[in-house]
This record gives sequence, C-alpha cells and structure tokens, in this order.
Amino acid sequence: MRRIFAAESLAGNLSLSHKKKCNFRLMSTIWSRMLFAISLLFLINSVLAGNLHRIGMFAEEMAGGYFAYRMMHYEIIGQDGSASNITSRYSNAATIPGPTIIITEGDEVEIELMYQINPDRENSKHNQVSIHVHGVHYDKDSDGTLKYINLYKDESATPVVSYIYRWHAALGTAGTWPYHDHNMDSHNGAEDRGLFGALIVNPASAAMNNIKKEFVLYIVDDAIVGMETNNTTGQHTPLWVNPTLTAERDSDVRFHVLALGTNFHQFQLNDYTWVDPGTVNQINTKAIGPLEKHVFVVNATHSSSYMDTAFSSVLLGMKGDFVVAH
Amino acid sequence: MKGNMSSHIYGKKMKTITAIILFITTWLFSSITLAASHNIILSAETLPNGQYGYKMISHTTDGAAPNYPADAVIPGPTLFVQGGDVVNIQLTNNTNIKVGFNVGGLSVGNAISILPKQTRNYRFNADKVGTFPYGDEKSALLGLFGAIVVDDPSGKVQSFLDGDGTLTAVKRDQLNKEFVMFMVGSTFWGAEISADGTQKPLWTNPTLGAVENQLVRFHVLAVGHAHTFHLHAHRWPDSTNNGNTASSNIIDVKLMSSPHSSHTFTIKAGTGVGPGVWQYHCHVMSHMQSGMNGKFHVVAAGSGETGDSIAGASPRGKIFLNDSDEPGLVTFIMSDEPGSWFRSARGNALSPVTHTKSLEIIPPGSSVHFIMSDTNGVHTVTNLLWPSDAGKNDHGGDHFMIPIDETKAYRGGGIVQLNVPGLYVFTCKIHPFMFAAVIVDDPKTDGLDLGNTIDLVSGIKDLPTSSDLATRLVSTFFIATTPSNWRDFTSTNPWHVAYPNVDVVTDAGKLSLVEVLEARYGQDVQLTSLSKPATPGVGEVWVDTQFEKTAGKTKPGAITVLDTSDWTLKRKIALPQINMNNPHNMWANRDHSVVYATQWFDTKLTLIDQKTGKLIKNIHVGDTPSHVMTLPTTDDVTIAIHGENGVVRMPVGTTEVDYMMPTQQHGQAPANPHGHWISADGKRIITPNVNTGDAGIYDTETGQIVVRTQTGGGAPVPHPIAIGMMPDSSRVYAANLLHHSISVLDGNNGALLNTINLIADYNPITGEFADKDGNGVVAVGVLPIQTPVSPDGKVMVTASMGGQIVITDTTTNKIVKMLSCDPGCHGANFGAKQGGGYYAYVSSKFSNRLIVVDPDPNGDGKLDDAEIAGSVSMVADKGVPKDDTVSNLAGFGGQGVLPLPIVYNGWVQNLPSEWSAGLTDKQRNPIQ
Repeated sequence: MRRIFAAESLAGNLSLSHKKKCNFRLMSTIWSRMLFAISLLFLINSVLAGNLHRIGMFAEEMAGGYFAYRMMHYEIIGQDGSASNITSRYSNAATIPGPTIIITEGDEVEIELMYQINPDRENSKHNQVSIHVHGVHYDKDSDGTLKYINLYKDESATPVVSYIYRWHAALGTAGTWPYHDHNMDSHNGAEDRGLFGALIVNPASAAMNNIKKEFVLYIVDDAIVGMETNNTTGQHTPLWVNPTLTAERDSDVRFHVLALGTNFHQFQLNDYTWVDPGTVNQINTKAIGPLEKHVFVVNATHSSSYMDTAFSSVLLGMKGDFVVAH
Repeated sequence: MKGNMSSHIYGKKMKTITAIILFITTWLFSSITLAASHNIILSAETLPNGQYGYKMISHTTDGAAPNYPADAVIPGPTLFVQGGDVVNIQLTNNTNIKVGFNVGGLSVGNAISILPKQTRNYRFNADKVGTFPYGDEKSALLGLFGAIVVDDPSGKVQSFLDGDGTLTAVKRDQLNKEFVMFMVGSTFWGAEISADGTQKPLWTNPTLGAVENQLVRFHVLAVGHAHTFHLHAHRWPDSTNNGNTASSNIIDVKLMSSPHSSHTFTIKAGTGVGPGVWQYHCHVMSHMQSGMNGKFHVVAAGSGETGDSIAGASPRGKIFLNDSDEPGLVTFIMSDEPGSWFRSARGNALSPVTHTKSLEIIPPGSSVHFIMSDTNGVHTVTNLLWPSDAGKNDHGGDHFMIPIDETKAYRGGGIVQLNVPGLYVFTCKIHPFMFAAVIVDDPKTDGLDLGNTIDLVSGIKDLPTSSDLATRLVSTFFIATTPSNWRDFTSTNPWHVAYPNVDVVTDAGKLSLVEVLEARYGQDVQLTSLSKPATPGVGEVWVDTQFEKTAGKTKPGAITVLDTSDWTLKRKIALPQINMNNPHNMWANRDHSVVYATQWFDTKLTLIDQKTGKLIKNIHVGDTPSHVMTLPTTDDVTIAIHGENGVVRMPVGTTEVDYMMPTQQHGQAPANPHGHWISADGKRIITPNVNTGDAGIYDTETGQIVVRTQTGGGAPVPHPIAIGMMPDSSRVYAANLLHHSISVLDGNNGALLNTINLIADYNPITGEFADKDGNGVVAVGVLPIQTPVSPDGKVMVTASMGGQIVITDTTTNKIVKMLSCDPGCHGANFGAKQGGGYYAYVSSKFSNRLIVVDPDPNGDGKLDDAEIAGSVSMVADKGVPKDDTVSNLAGFGGQGVLPLPIVYNGWVQNLPSEWSAGLTDKQRNPIQ
C-alpha cells in the first residue's frame, strides 16, 4: 500500500511542476526526480524485497489422540544470499498450536511438510496431511487440499513423500493468518485434532517493530491454547491450555486471537481497550467464530485477565491471567 | 501581472461557482432520479420437494429491472435498489403455510404474515446502503429468503484488494458478475447475477465460475444458525464497518452470526494466485463435516473457457414423483416433534404411500438435505446404515461423504449426494431414535432398490438386505417414525403396523416389503391387557412421557406421576408456561421437595415442586441435557450435557450451574455423555461416552479423569448410552446401544472385566432365537438402553429398544431371563416394593404403558422366576389433575423413570422420615 501513496505523490509533483512556471521550477524538478527515484526504490523494494523462509515441519502424533506440527528446520535466506538458521528458537517437540511463523510483507516461504504419523493400512484417508494457509498468495500447487476438492491433485505429505508449499506474502497480505491441515482423515482435514498454527505477516513498514511479545491464542471448543513469541530474543514458547500470559510493564504486546472448531466465542480482556481493526471503535470484547482472527496491540500497564464469556466456555474455565510485572 | 492575477482569481472563482452549481444540480437531479420507487409483485410458492421459494411476478421501476428467473427460486429473486429508494412489495401466498415479509436490518411497516391464498402489500424505504436478507421469519430455513442489495446511489461498491496490494475502488457497472450466497443449515444456496442483470439460480453448494481477473462481488448472508464464511486463496477488505476507518482490515473468514447477517465484498478472481479450483466453505467444523462447501472455479484468462457457474442439486430436480434433467434434492426437517424427527418437507404428500413422513426416494446422483429448523437442541446427521458400495471409493461411492457423520453435535443441517443405489438410514447420535430413510432407486430396476448388502455404523459390514437384522431395522424404522404404528394400550384393537405396499429389490431378489415384514414380525397382534401388580409399590413413580402432546404448547412432553399404592395416576405435568420440550430424565433432591427434569431437545433443567407439580424454575444448563443425578454426599446436582462435552454442576441450594466437568482432555473429541451414574459414596461420576465409545470414571472432588475404558468389544461405534452400578461401587455396567452388549468394568480402576453379549442368542441372518451361548435361557436384548442395578446389588434390569427386558444376575454377570417389552423400550429404574424387595419400572417410547418388573417375586434370591408383575397405563383420564389439556399421543414416549423415594444405596440413607417410613429396614440399608 505504501507504493500507492508514493506513486500518487509522484504524480502530484510532476503535474504541479509542469503547470507552474516559477522560480522553483528547477528545485521542484529536482525534487520530483528525487521522489521518482525514491519511489522506484520503493517499488523495487516492495515487489522484490523480502527474505526467503525455508522451513521444514513434521506432522506428528501425540499421546491422547492429538496430532500436531513440529518445527524441524527454519532458515532465513536474505536478499543478499545470507542464511541464518533460527530453528533453535522453536520448541524441539510438537506443539499445539503449531510453530508461529513470523514474516514480513514481501517475504516468501518455502515450507516442506513431512508425515511422521503411523500410517493406517485400513484407511488410506489417514495417510495424508497438509498445510493450508489463509491470507497470503500461493498458486494452485500450494492450496494444501485434496484432489477431491481442487480437482487437480492431492497436496499432501504422505508416509512415502513430503510436500513443499510455497507462499508469497505479497503486499496487502499483512495480518495474522491461521494455517492448518486440510487433508487428514476427511476432505476437511484434522485441524480440530491439533494440526493448526499461526502465520504472522508484519507490514513492510516498521509499524510493529516496538512490539515486545506476540501472544497467539487459539480458542478451541473447550480451551484456549497459546503460543508466545518474545521478539527481543526471537524465542517461541508453547503456553498450552488456558495459560497465564506475562508482560513487562509499559511494553507493547500483541494478541493474535484465533478460533477453531464448532463453537462460537466472545473474547474479552478485562480493563483494557483497543481498536477493533478496520474501525475506529474502542472495544474490550469481540465475538469470534471458527478461523476468524482478531489482532490487537495493548500497552501492558496493569495485570488483568482474559476470558471467553460464551456460556459453556465460562463453565469450562476458558480463561487465564495476564500478569504485568515490574 | 496584476490583471492577470485578478483574472486568474476571477476565473478560479467562476470555476468554483460553476462547480458548486453543477454539484447542486447534479445532486438535486440525482436525488430526484435516485429516489426511485419499485413496485415488486412476488409470490411464495411450494417447490416440488416441499420446500418454499419466492417467485418474481413483476418488477416495475423507473430504471431497468433485472431479468429474473421465471419460477420460484431459493434464494428468492435478488432485489437491487439504491439508497433512498422506496420499495413496494405485493406478496401473494400460494403455499399452505403462513408467510410474512421481513427485511432484516431495514424496517418494514406492519410485516404481518398472511394466510394461504392471501395477498398483502408491504413497503419499506431503502434508507441504508448494504445487503439485507428478506424473507419469512418463521419458515426462512425452508427457503423463504432472498437478498435485497441497496447500493450507494453513486454506483460505488466495495473496493477490492488487487494482487499487488492496491486497494481499488469499484463501480457497480465494472462488476463482471455477482453471487448471492446464503448460508443456511449446512448448505449454501446460491444465485448468480450477470453483468447484464440476468439472475440465475445456482441452488445448493454450486460451483461458482469466473475468468481470472474478473471482478466478482459476493453477497454472503445467513439466516438462522451462525456460520463463518471462508474462500480459499482470496482476501478482501472487511467493509462491514462502513465509514472512516484508519486502515482496512483484510480478511478471508467472516463470522455470520444469526439471525440477519450479511457480508458483501468484491474480489478480483484469482488475483495473486492465478487460476484454480478454490474451495469456499463454512469454517465451522461440524458444518464442514456435514457438507457445507463448494468450489470457486477460476479459469485462466485467454484460455477460451467462459468461467460459467454450475448449479447444484435443486428442489426442482430429479426426485421420486418429479421428473427433471437436473440433480434433485429432498429435504428433511429435523424436529422436536415425536415420530417425525426427520420429516420430509413433503412428508404429508408422501405418507399415504410410504406410511411415514421420514422416507424419501431419489434416483442416483440426487442429494439429501437436512435442516435443523424445528428444534431447540443440538444434533448430528449420522449414517446408521448405507449400501456397502457407497462407502467405498469405486462403483460411484464416495468414501469422503459416506458414511456422513460429525465429531460434535451442532446446530445447522447437512447435505450429501447419494450415487449408489440402495437403502440409507440416517440418525442423530445424540437422539438415536431419530430416523430418516432414503432409498436411492435405480429407475432401470423393477422395484425399489435396497441394494445387496449394507454396512452399519456399529462396524457390521456386508449385511445382506434380506437378512433378519436388516429387515428388523426396517420394521423398527416404520414403527419409530409413525405414531399410528405405536402400541396403544387404551385401544382394544389389535396392534397394526402399516408398512408401505411396495416391491423392494434385495440380495434375495424382488420381494414384497409388507409381506416380508408381516411374515417375520407379525401383524395385528392382540396386546396383552393391562393389569395392576398385586403387591403395591412404595411412594410414587415419575415417568417422562416424553412424546405426549398438550394443547397449550408447541413442544411435546409431559411428566406422568403414578401413585404406586393403588397404581393410579396422580398428576400430569406438561408445564405449558415454559413450553417444556421433551422431558427426558429426572432425579430429586435429598428431601424430595424438588424434582429435577432435563429437557433433552432443549437447553434447560426444570425444577418442579414434588408436592404440587408446579414449576419452580427453568434453568439454562447447556445444549441437550440428558440425565440428572444428585451427589449423595452433598446433594449437589449433576447434569450430563449430552450435546456438549461434560457434566455440569449446580451446587445445592442454588439455581445456577457454576462448573462443567469436562469428560475428555482439552481438545479431544467430545465424549457426549448421556446417562451417567454416581457411586454410592459420591466419589465417582461415571459417564457413558456416546461419541467416543467409552465409559469414563471421574473424580467428583477434582473433576479429573480417573480412567476412560473403551466399551463394546472394540466395535467402532458401540454407543454406550447408560450406566448401572453396584451399590458398593465395585462394578460399573455400561449398555452399548449399537453393540447390543453390556460392558462390565471394575468400579475403581475401570478395568474391563467382561462383556455381556445381549444378542448371542440371536442369528442376525435368519432371525432365529436359540440358546447359542449355552446359559440355559434364550434371551436377547437388541439396542439396550437403561441398565440399573438393584439397590441391593443382586440383579440388573436392561431395557432394550428392540422390545425386550433382560434380567442379569450380577453375582455371575450371566443373563437369566428375557421378558417381553414394547417397541422403544427405554427407561428402567428401581423402586421399593411394599414389604421388601424391589420393582423395576420399565418405560417404552413407542407405547403408553409402564411395565412393572418383579425380579424376585418370592424373595428367595433366585432370579429365574423374574416376571412382569403388571403394567399400568400412562394415559390420564379426566379425573387426573393436569396443568394442560392432552391433545395427542397420550401417555406415549416413556423414557426417564424416577421412583420416589429414591432407594439406591447412598441416597436411601439420607431420606427424611416421611419418605423412609414406608421402607423396610433392609430397604433402608440395602447392602448391610
């Protein structure tokens, strides 16, 4: 979106300098040329700029009948070809939610999924698992669906072969997006059994640079499961069920609230307000349905608690503390 | 220079003034032209499958009116108007129901409903820009809905997000096409509006077509249940909040919360992602599982493909009695109404032939559609049986959709295409007597195709359709779904079951269905007359006559109170003031002043004054509460929330639930507990976990899972439904409805000790009953439900839906006797017999009597003389006090049974003296 603004101001300057015949002509020409050049830079930056995130993930079985994703390998290739390996920032076990992937508009992701689940000889439907991502760009090879749906091919990791998905966080895709299985056991996938996680696409601007912590909170039918990212260290920590969230006083923290399952929810963070995205409304509670997202930033000033106020969610204790220290 | 300057200014001024004048003129003119009025003549029609739709008769306006479909359609015609327009609607009701006209979000003056054959005018001002659902509030879910699109007079519509991130403004005339997509139940109902204004019905779950880079506007709407809309590989600004916004919120999933949601957005087809077949679907898991999806097919630009949409199965398509070239759709309304829990939308028209409202016939390739439009509960749409080939991925089968099932009970519906000929029976896992049957009939064969073999959800595969088990299920279907086939003990006529007089094609060739069923299961059977037990009981028996209809409410169900001192009815409690809905199970507090009753097709626990039968309070406890029991230790109330995933607690002395004990770990498949039991020491809650096929033992204090044990001998869906327990808590008995067995568990550690096979003596192919398990008796219990153990721990009585009562000696865990029950035999509970011993009171859904079983008439401790001591009518005569007038199905629907005083070990010791006075010492201390 920044590119549009740049292009508009460029056009404005050019037409102004063209019509106005005054002493400033030279200056404005220079200015407009400079702006043009800057805009070009932006253009190039915003279209081509971006890192390549080369990721390997497992889909695994966990005790209790769950399935979950596990980070195996994560390497970021910069524009200059430099590679940095950030695998160690992730849990070395499978987690629910799965690994939080954080990228920036313009980045690309190449994510290889490996099937690490006991195959089922009786039920071939069990022997497929995928990653279907929301929001970002990908072509029809990376939808993560079955041929039954896409009429093209089964885009699954299987006991025999892995599958590589390619995503492009093109301009306009900034936001938080769920990713989840779409292929295991049914044409809907086994997302409700633990195969889900979050992709955070930060805007190309530096608007989110001061955020100290990311809290991914997935509201499933009977619990809120969390994953924390400390932006100072880059470390990702699974918080599991109805977690206590901690933040340093006066730090900005971002909540990524997502839902998954069959139930509908009403998320609430007591004694804080924030802007409902896309509006100018200050809110402190938000209705959220399966696979919706609700993302907001608060400055941590005081301890509080979050909860889902839907009837059975209250009875099930779907809530946790937000502890602000120092 | 100066002159130049002033003329420049002058010129500027002139320009400004001209501009202002022009602006005002344009504004005036535009507002004159824009405040158009529309005269729209609509009719409401009945479609061939029994659903309803709106039909456009004419639309007169100043501008060009769209090209509407000639016939009634679902969704109804899309009405495009502009902000400020006045819309006059004249509606004629050509259906047989009352129909109204409301617009969700806009105000329609006097939106009163009209009777069949009437015509009425409605009028509203399109004073808000947006897309709004119009329709009939009551019957919307059956098709009486459509969209009104109120566009900005400037022509501006929702901006789209281009693949390069540009948010681009769009005028309506730039759109290549528009789709109206209604999310209803678990089905999308679509219509396409082309650039020239032509409207085309796309019916159910269509394939939407577009050429890459075409501008397509979606109007997604919902009526009734809540949904989340998702379209793969596309994203758009959430324009729900029109006006000044700091930045756009880019989304690809949108919550449509009931009842009148709409969401409109524009996309550039395939932008950033290219051509492909992109799925759209509801992202609610249970809706995904029940078929709520379709395809958005974006073809490559320049490929020569036109990107046409393909309509889905239609109420006008091929079904029995309606010929067409298009795939058809039959619709079952899921209802709280007894018998027709799955009622074909054209059930009244079919039933003279089919003798049920729950049977439909379609050709291969047509679809069956379910809509939970007449129920307050949650349900599933689950295949009970299906042609063996239909669940495989060859011969036209579809192993992704057959057998259809959902992980969680929900509100919505379902839709599934059936390609393989044969018999399909659908049920609800929560209420496993709700039945729909569909025969997919190959028109080329002579007779209705039942197919060669069927598979059952319980794991039985390749069962021949001519087998006894198959025809027994068919017979059960016709009895359960048709109240006139139930056993009426107030009638002196023999019991007649009406079967359709049709030829069916089975693995044994063509057969007359009625002849086979009558030959195997009899016809015009003379019912035994009712007789009061010779020995009185102690106290009262409260029976949930769950299907009894009364005049003062729309929902069924009454509680029948029986006085066991003389076996007369004491009271009928229907509670019309709360429209009590399907009362299912009961328990009482310690001093028996309050009786708790669950409403199984609803969300409530009802508190009733034991002495007066009057309502105390009606409390929201959760979706589809099934059983209720108190903790003997504290008198806290526990309620199994069958449609959810736990047991809720209402602390003694309060009228609000404060806690749900989950029956599974977080994130695991919901257990859907039904008929729980509590140990005599109050330390353990044991639930039969219907959905996960296990019995769970839970610690009452901590709410933690002690152990969960699979029941039903490894069958995939054993459907454990009720628990019985030894008075010393040493053993747990779980009745497996679909495995026809009782699993015996250690009460402390849950270890599986034994599985009592209730159909060992039954040959499912021939139907022969013989002592195959060699225990010396011929005893069968088909579809066992409640299975209490006597308070002294000597005997277990199992009520089996197939019409049997099975008596088991708990010392040996061996079946000792089978007694005859009625169809739908369901509830069982022990009460005290006067002078010592116990009666087991057994109720049946499809009869109107209560059977009194005496498991040990001579009290010698041997059970081989167990007998039916008598049976009592549940039909109240005029003299019985009632709170409502019985209007139909008097005394039917026997389910929960609560003898008062409660004489189970742990509870009996807490009785106040007025209730324990009639008991013997032994009954007061049953295991000493």
